[in-house]
Amino acid sequence: MFEVFLKEVKELLRDRKTLFFVIALPIVIFPVLFALLAFLASKTTLEAEQKVHTYYIANAKLAPVFEERMFYHKSFKPHEGKERFESVEALKEAVRAGKIDVGVIIPNQFNYKQPLPEQFKWQVVFNDAQSINFVYKRLEKLIQKFAAEIRSVSLENLGVPKEQHTALLNPISVSKVDTADKRENYGEKLGAFIPYLLIPLVLMGASYPAIDLGAGEKERGTLETLLLTPVTRTQLVLGKFITVLASSIACALVTVSSLAVWISIASGVGVLDSLKEAFSSVSIWDYLLIFTLLLPVAVMLSSLVLAISIYARTFKEAQNYMGPLSMLVFVPIVVSLMPNMSLTSFTAWIPITNVSLAIKEIVKGTVDYGAVAMIFVASALLAGALLGCCVRWFSRETVLFR
Amino acid sequence: MIVVNGLKKRFKLTKEATSSNVNQDPRQRDGYFNSVEEVTFKCESNEVLGLLGPNGAGKTTTLRMLSTALTPDAGSIHIAGHDIVKSPLAGRKAIGFLSGTTGLYGRLTAKENVEYFAKLHGLKGRALKSRCEYLFATLDMENFLDKRAEHLSTGMKQKTNIARAVVHEPEVVILDEPTTGLDIMTKQAIIQFIRELKAKKTPVVFSTHHLDEIAMLCDRICLIDQGVSCFDGSVDEFKAAGQSTELNDAFLNIIKQGRANV
Repeated sequence: MFEVFLKEVKELLRDRKTLFFVIALPIVIFPVLFALLAFLASKTTLEAEQKVHTYYIANAKLAPVFEERMFYHKSFKPHEGKERFESVEALKEAVRAGKIDVGVIIPNQFNYKQPLPEQFKWQVVFNDAQSINFVYKRLEKLIQKFAAEIRSVSLENLGVPKEQHTALLNPISVSKVDTADKRENYGEKLGAFIPYLLIPLVLMGASYPAIDLGAGEKERGTLETLLLTPVTRTQLVLGKFITVLASSIACALVTVSSLAVWISIASGVGVLDSLKEAFSSVSIWDYLLIFTLLLPVAVMLSSLVLAISIYARTFKEAQNYMGPLSMLVFVPIVVSLMPNMSLTSFTAWIPITNVSLAIKEIVKGTVDYGAVAMIFVASALLAGALLGCCVRWFSRETVLFR
Repeated sequence: MIVVNGLKKRFKLTKEATSSNVNQDPRQRDGYFNSVEEVTFKCESNEVLGLLGPNGAGKTTTLRMLSTALTPDAGSIHIAGHDIVKSPLAGRKAIGFLSGTTGLYGRLTAKENVEYFAKLHGLKGRALKSRCEYLFATLDMENFLDKRAEHLSTGMKQKTNIARAVVHEPEVVILDEPTTGLDIMTKQAIIQFIRELKAKKTPVVFSTHHLDEIAMLCDRICLIDQGVSCFDGSVDEFKAAGQSTELNDAFLNIIKQGRANV
């Protein structure tokens, strides 16, 4: 059995394709992709934030205070041409032509010094189709500030003393007192992503070598000779299984450690501080616990992919079966990602979902160790059963000689 | 010595195969395909037995049962005194198997391929080393030992395969169409290999479609048609039974007689 394992590992290490998928992809390519993604996202946000918008105010003379504020605001600059845009249509046209970014129409009747309160309708003309857009928010803030001043003057004119304005406008103020600490909060949001990342990696790390060890062996015609050695079929399949398992765990560990390294580099530069903070409270024991829970999942997936691969006649057939299997694995993980999903006596019985929920609880720091132990036992039993099936599968003639 | 008695093996058929019986084989019954129905032959320790038969006659299935890859449904196989149906593990130690389709591990070198199988057969340390060195020398493999098997030529691969098949010094050797699809040079290497086995009094069973190989190498012939061994005897008896001095005609005649009797 050990000989089989050694030889399979030797062969795997010489296979550039598998090495690429199991090691290079997680160590180098994933982080680079993630970094690129983060970089692009932050860059567009930054650009949107720093952009200075050209504006035009129709009937600006009716609100000189407002106009002055716009003029001095760092994110706005006035339209410099001699053109006048005094209607909604004209402003729309100007926005479309790119002459201005935003237009404000103050109605002709507007008079901010009038004695009795009256509501006026201002219109803001801009292109709202961009998803990251600060122009309306900023403008609205300016307008609201201006409106608050008018309101305050009106209230004073009505005889309300200044100290009572706040109470009059907003008689009840509400504030949140959150019993969840920071860790629980981050854990709820990030904790579910750890299994989402890890379990598919475990599957990926298992399936590439498994295809080679099962279907590949059939396709190359080496399986028959292997079966004729005085090594029992159980030993053969276990040797293969350990190889697949080792590869799946290696793939997950390599990725996690590479991510940890990259994150620590990134947080050294100052980004991702919140992420670091969230994970700083997760202790080494928690990580070990996560690993322990992943182990039966790795056994389950390894036996499954190995069984499939042994069944398949060719590489291609095995690959065709792997596709639907990864869907099958994703569904229970996605279930655990759904909002408000938590570990209950029901969800604790769904394989993979239970592990993924338990990992979330561990990251949140609200874990019930009894439940984790139960999940571990249940998963280990299922994993053992699947491994048993895989071993039996390997001694069936109808599977080996299809 | 190999004694095979009343061997039987059937395979379950899929639904599609059962329903589409346009050209139904007489061996197809009750949802099963009776690939091998009654195969009996024997081979003494200094003999080479040629297994003949049309395509699909059940030769490969028979040889697979002989090599313990498949378990027969009925019948007995005794190889070098072991009942290999009852104790396949003991049988595997006594058998060397090679077929035209068996491959090598492409990413291992020729040497590693042979050594891997030696280790699986329980060879260790000095015994393993000396056995491998002996084989590499006799098969003239030294100049490509450290090349990966995927980069070897067909002839080199076949030599490696031979070394792999006999690394554990088997008491009998079973070859399933070992020369199919090989060029003349490589084929010659196989023929030479069989001759050497014969010189060492190791019984060899091999299946083939080439009657010239039978004439060249075999002492006995077993003819299988439609899952039944319809002839088992010496080459001369084969010619007598087929009423022809040409193996080709004898072969066709025996098949014809066999089918007429059914």
